[in-house]
Amino acid sequence: MDLLPIVEAIQNTGFAEWMRMSRKGLPIINWMHVVAITTVFGTIFVVDLRLLNYPNASRSFTRLSEEMLRWTWGAFALAVITGLMLFAANAVTYYNNTAFWLKMGAIVLAGINMAVFQFLTFRSVTHWDRDRPTPVAARAAGAMSILLWLSVIFLGRWIGFTKGYNFEVPDEIEEDLFDFGMRLIEAVSGFG
Amino acid sequence: MLEFATWFQGTPVSVWLQSTLWIVPLMQSVHIVMIGIVFVSILMVALRVMGWIRADEPFAAVLNRFTPWIAGGLAVMAATGLILVAAEPVREFSATSFWMKMALILVAVASGLGFRAALTPEKQLAGGDNLHFSGRSKALAVGTVLLWLFIIFLGRAIAYDIEIWGPLSLNQRFS
Repeated sequence: MDLLPIVEAIQNTGFAEWMRMSRKGLPIINWMHVVAITTVFGTIFVVDLRLLNYPNASRSFTRLSEEMLRWTWGAFALAVITGLMLFAANAVTYYNNTAFWLKMGAIVLAGINMAVFQFLTFRSVTHWDRDRPTPVAARAAGAMSILLWLSVIFLGRWIGFTKGYNFEVPDEIEEDLFDFGMRLIEAVSGFG
Repeated sequence: MLEFATWFQGTPVSVWLQSTLWIVPLMQSVHIVMIGIVFVSILMVALRVMGWIRADEPFAAVLNRFTPWIAGGLAVMAATGLILVAAEPVREFSATSFWMKMALILVAVASGLGFRAALTPEKQLAGGDNLHFSGRSKALAVGTVLLWLFIIFLGRAIAYDIEIWGPLSLNQRFS
């Protein structure tokens, strides 16, 4: 299915036009997106570390995760809303950007990891809620979560360097990046 | 200052940082991860002052859990920030947001250290559900979180200095 017409329609909405034209809109939404994603990572990191028994197992996992995850979900909602706004402003560029799709993939994997933990591993929580080391599956979920959210942040930053309309990157560097990409493709495909 | 930045941008160190294409995005990513760790750690201490989380734990336990992450995260951010400035000195030094950010970081760190020094032993050691902070402490906690949010904003705004500050942007004077 070709989604490009839909993506183009999104970019042509009045809202997207306003996002592109407003001088302060883009940086402010961008800032809120950074605050949201860093809060998602920071709060879920506390839960993930607890799954890895850091700093110890003395706090109730149920209580700790309840207190943390409401902030995680609030921040995630803000990240989705601001992310959709940023996407709308330059929808076609994002649609054609590999780093963007890798980032979306990492978010989906983080969601699957969380669902597996919630619906399988968490069911036995009464046996390890506190003062006992967490089971291997819980530790694996914590480690996976840290890796996946780190990937989301790295890929998100990478979008800014590969999306082609970045105001922060001098032209020479983008050309370097293009050359680098071409050399990589040549090296991998073996006719370089 | 800007003369220094222009000169530094031409030194082999800066040129190497600029031409090694993965350094700037990697340093920025690490910087953002550390924002997550430091900002949330500060948020956790502030929420404990408010009594909204970990109310069953002594304040000192919460402080001891998060302080090493705040200090360590700030140290890593100073290092990655320094590398980013070395890679793009003119861009940073000609941004109003950059100088405001540096000044406010000093204010925020000093106020954080001051808060720690002013903690009475009772507040530090008293535990659990019956530990209540004064209205002034709670206001300080909220103010600290807002201050760090503004510092994060200034960091993001370096890339949009003219859009944000208009005639107040240092950038325009040199363009």
